[in-house]
Amino acid sequence: MNIAVCVCQVPDTASIIRFDVDGAIDLTRINEVMNPYDEYALEEAVRLKERFKGSVVTVFSVAPASAKEMLRKALALGADRAVLLSDTVVSDSYQTALALSLVISTFYADGLPDVVFCGKQSTDFQAGEVPPMLAELLGMAFASGITALITFAESLHVEREIEGGTESVELNYPALLSAEKGLNIPRKSSIKAVLDARKKTIDFFTLTLSDTPCVVTTAIKPRERKKKCKFVSDENELIRRLREERALI
Amino acid sequence: MNKFLVFLEQRGGTIKKASIETWNRVQELAAEQGDSAVSGILAGPADLKQLDGYIVGDGVIYHASEECLALYNPERYARLVKDTLQREACTTLFFADTILSRELAPKLSVRLKASLLSGCAMSDVAWHNGGCVRPVYAGSAMASFLPERTFRIYTISSCATPAISNARGTITVITLEPHSFASEPLFSVVRRNLMREGGLDVAEAGIIVAGGRGMGGTEGFFLLEQLARLLGGAVGASRPVVDEGWRPQCEQIGQTGKTVAPVLYFAFGISGSLQHLAGIGSVGTVVAINKDCHAPIFDVADYGIVGDVHLVLPKLLDTLQEFLKRK
Repeated sequence: MNIAVCVCQVPDTASIIRFDVDGAIDLTRINEVMNPYDEYALEEAVRLKERFKGSVVTVFSVAPASAKEMLRKALALGADRAVLLSDTVVSDSYQTALALSLVISTFYADGLPDVVFCGKQSTDFQAGEVPPMLAELLGMAFASGITALITFAESLHVEREIEGGTESVELNYPALLSAEKGLNIPRKSSIKAVLDARKKTIDFFTLTLSDTPCVVTTAIKPRERKKKCKFVSDENELIRRLREERALI
Repeated sequence: MNKFLVFLEQRGGTIKKASIETWNRVQELAAEQGDSAVSGILAGPADLKQLDGYIVGDGVIYHASEECLALYNPERYARLVKDTLQREACTTLFFADTILSRELAPKLSVRLKASLLSGCAMSDVAWHNGGCVRPVYAGSAMASFLPERTFRIYTISSCATPAISNARGTITVITLEPHSFASEPLFSVVRRNLMREGGLDVAEAGIIVAGGRGMGGTEGFFLLEQLARLLGGAVGASRPVVDEGWRPQCEQIGQTGKTVAPVLYFAFGISGSLQHLAGIGSVGTVVAINKDCHAPIFDVADYGIVGDVHLVLPKLLDTLQEFLKRK
């Protein structure tokens, strides 16, 4: 089975986003890590590989060359190969999905991978647009935010969270699945796996995008969230005040 | 003339409140703009009488009432929306920001070569250019986005507004002829939906009572459940609580959980990490109860009580019960 995983880099969740004196976002002091949702995606891919002998897990990323370290980590966590698209500049979700679709279809020249895993969304921009766009571009079945996966020879059964419950979805191969927290508990890499990962290959791809972005980011500004907290003495006062401002009717 | 199309989402025949809210906001936008028309598309069987009194403005709702659309189906829904857009010559499509639309809208955006703007607050859609502003980086920054294509798709995040009642709108419902879906290849099929008992979701609740590590354990949440029932709200949780296994993942609010927008949010024993605050950026009134008066949650709260949640919570329950009895 050919299994692809798409990963991206995000500021680690403990990072504080700073702005320079001109008000421009300053990401120079940010520690970049693998997107947490992508860790669930990678873990599920590696579990699938272990179930179907002879499977190959390939990790794809559209990111600067510095993302090599993240890909090394993915290799140490059980991926077999990694492909980095470092020279292609993408500026919106559509271009990211387009770049991934091109590199995946080039890589698997004789067809599509059987399953593609992505994280549900990146933790920085949190749009979750790339996985469904990629599925549409590749012409694959798609389910987002899955929390359970059972694979059969002919189809895949997944569960996902919907508002107030869960939904069971059956998909045909090839399929693209985006991973929600709770799908699995990602393993830790062993020292041996880290050393072995050094011997695995990271391929660099370059390609030209055939389309311009659909959306441009015009500004990123700091957000002032502070409110003036009114400390109340007890629950009677609290309820009275909530009633006054009609938050409690 | 602006022609707006609003996708109305139903589950089990109930049209989502978020969809109705989106319709109403698009109607407001159309009224501000002038020379605008709003129509809607509803997929799946549903009784449209449920909209009476909740929906504003004039417009046509196209209803594809076939049983085969009752459950979400990406291929069929995409085709239905695309056909309706083209027939009505609409260039702007609105969804409520839901799990379904976060899947369907990107798919359609590729198919229609449209600009997709997800999670927009409607008040921020500065219409002269159709841009949108939304929080990024766990809510510590606001990013502005502009569409570059003629076709535009928006998913509209809910914001803390009380529901409209006694609204007046003149809606014409046109039931669509059944589509000939049978010949299409089906990539994926939703087999069933399993709804939780009393399953009000934090993402849809008007009031949320959330608990953090300060609740001390599973038992601590029994009183929060009582409070949620009393207020007609939902129980939410911070990440440590879910990671400890005290509460299910579906209740987690924050950067790796859900983003919520209730009118009223109670934070019991939640310190207020940036990751948690990421999920409550559009909440109306925030009430924080924490024994640490320096907890960062108080920086974003409207009202605060400094005290032990285990002492405050029972008293709050009693007082509320009294208050609701008197009402």
